[in-house]
Amino acid sequence: MFFLKMAIKNLSRHKRRTVITALIIAFAILIYILTEGLMLGITEMSFDNIINLESGHLQVANQEYWDDRKELPLRDLITPSAAVESELEETEGFVALTKRLNFSVNLNNGIDELPVTGVGIDLGRDEQVFELDQHLVEGRMPESGSSEIIMGAKLAELMDFSLGDYATMLIRTEEKTFNTIDGKIVGLFNTPHPSLNESNVFISLETVQQSLNVEDKISHYVLRLEDQDLAANAAAGLTQRLEGKLNAYSWKDAAESLVTMLEMQAIETQVILAIILTLAAVGIINTVILSALERMEELGMMKALGMHQSEIVYTFMGEAAGIGLIGGVMGLIMGSIGLWIFNLNGLDMAALTGGGDVTYGFPLSGTIYAGWEISSFVFVFVYGVVVSVLASIFPALWAARKDPVKAIYHR
Amino acid sequence: MSLIKLKRLEKTYQQGKIAVPALRGIDLEIESGEFTTIFGPSGSGKTTLLNMIGCLDKSTAGDIIFDEHSINDLNSKELAEVRRYNLGFIFQSYNLIPVLTAFENVEFAIRLIEKHSKKERKDRVMSLLEEVGLGDMTDRRPNELSGGQKQRVAIARALIKEPKLVLADEPTANLDSETSKEVLELMKEMNRELNTTFMFSTHDPQVMDYARRLIEIKDGKITNDQRRG
Repeated sequence: MFFLKMAIKNLSRHKRRTVITALIIAFAILIYILTEGLMLGITEMSFDNIINLESGHLQVANQEYWDDRKELPLRDLITPSAAVESELEETEGFVALTKRLNFSVNLNNGIDELPVTGVGIDLGRDEQVFELDQHLVEGRMPESGSSEIIMGAKLAELMDFSLGDYATMLIRTEEKTFNTIDGKIVGLFNTPHPSLNESNVFISLETVQQSLNVEDKISHYVLRLEDQDLAANAAAGLTQRLEGKLNAYSWKDAAESLVTMLEMQAIETQVILAIILTLAAVGIINTVILSALERMEELGMMKALGMHQSEIVYTFMGEAAGIGLIGGVMGLIMGSIGLWIFNLNGLDMAALTGGGDVTYGFPLSGTIYAGWEISSFVFVFVYGVVVSVLASIFPALWAARKDPVKAIYHR
Repeated sequence: MSLIKLKRLEKTYQQGKIAVPALRGIDLEIESGEFTTIFGPSGSGKTTLLNMIGCLDKSTAGDIIFDEHSINDLNSKELAEVRRYNLGFIFQSYNLIPVLTAFENVEFAIRLIEKHSKKERKDRVMSLLEEVGLGDMTDRRPNELSGGQKQRVAIARALIKEPKLVLADEPTANLDSETSKEVLELMKEMNRELNTTFMFSTHDPQVMDYARRLIEIKDGKITNDQRRG
């Protein structure tokens, strides 16, 4: 305790140097908090968009369908049944359930044709699971059983469609015969999920089932739960309970590539932190060496009084820990202020991407707000202190191993 | 009983390829409670001899017996233990820790030997600081003390753990003659009161007047050893 007290007092010898070294640590922590905050914000918003607009919390589909789902097959569809639905309603935290049928469409405006994803939705129930209706910028949702459609405003602009226009949807049934739906555009939406705006067309489930000649089959069920964190366990439990080839998949399974990408981003952030703090560690090493050189006679006295090498090393480590603590606190304060300033206006994704439609693979657009987690703050604080202490060991050992006579007479 | 016994002690420094002898076969015995001055010209080997006796440096040849134990074969950690429990040091430039108060500088030394309670420690430090005439300056930092006051703190620091031997290398070299006198009086008083053995190096004639034993050293050899009443 006495040595720790002395270490803290030693920090006051060169206040400016202590503050500058601590500032290096603080800047490293600030950069980490901002980077981590931005990543956290992007992650939360991306997951929200996926859950609210694309996958719900849980999806139930045939295993074979799930494996090929990106090809939008009409094989391995599900025949809905009251028994299955009541089983799904038993899921822990269950809120709502809807049915969907995804299919492949060639959208034609009379001149150009564009392959897009068609989604047959169970109107009336879909709004309980998804938020699509909340992002309509023009018009309304389609009516059940009609051939009314809604699409992204961006897709409409690309295909030169306006509200009230008819879009020819070229589809192929499971028997490979062609069919068309003349969909009347009754709504345009603009969601924060860019790919949804650019490549999806929504239509009444009954109309699609009839046009595709799949009777009342659907590609999957979608469930909304009370909390996204319930999804993984719920999926595992449901898969066990469901009969046949039906499997349940959490939103994380649906967004597998995004989750992988975000995990990689998280590793990148850690690497950035490690690099920055390594640079900061050089500052600590420099400070400890300077301190030792200035206090060589004092160190000699300490050794003459019988202080052990380890005690001298602990004293320097205590000083480094002090610098780390000061830098850590400064960094957390600066980081908190930085996040607060950042979140005053958020970051416009368009400004970040130069006004283009580039989203770097993230399912989000519009304004990004940074997130924060107390665990990140604790982690970076502890990391900063630990790096400071570790960085001091080598120069402290160098100082502690000095010959006492040479140290006393500063030779 | 001898506190220190040196037998044919030699120390040679290697400067590049040249061997420079600093001590050439010193034989010496110091009794407990002695107040001894080692004097001689610069470079004669005074400081080297004190460093050998103080377990700060190792000899090239010969034996050092401290309190009936040979310290020749001790490693650096064991030597640190000997210094920690048995020796006190007073330096020419005081070597106080500038961020600690007079009280804390003295307390620092006693902290190294963990055999006292907090209260005991405080009482001992306060009483010793009073004895050296700094009872009202315990909260002052070294930069708020005069040279003489700093050396008094250093004396208190050397004595606080009740060492068997206090070594002082030119303790008055940075002090004016009046302050030197006060510091020497204090050391002599402590020697009398606590029966602590003092050994210090100097080339100041005023300092020699206080010694009860005068050892002259020249070119690494003892040339004169006289006791005074």
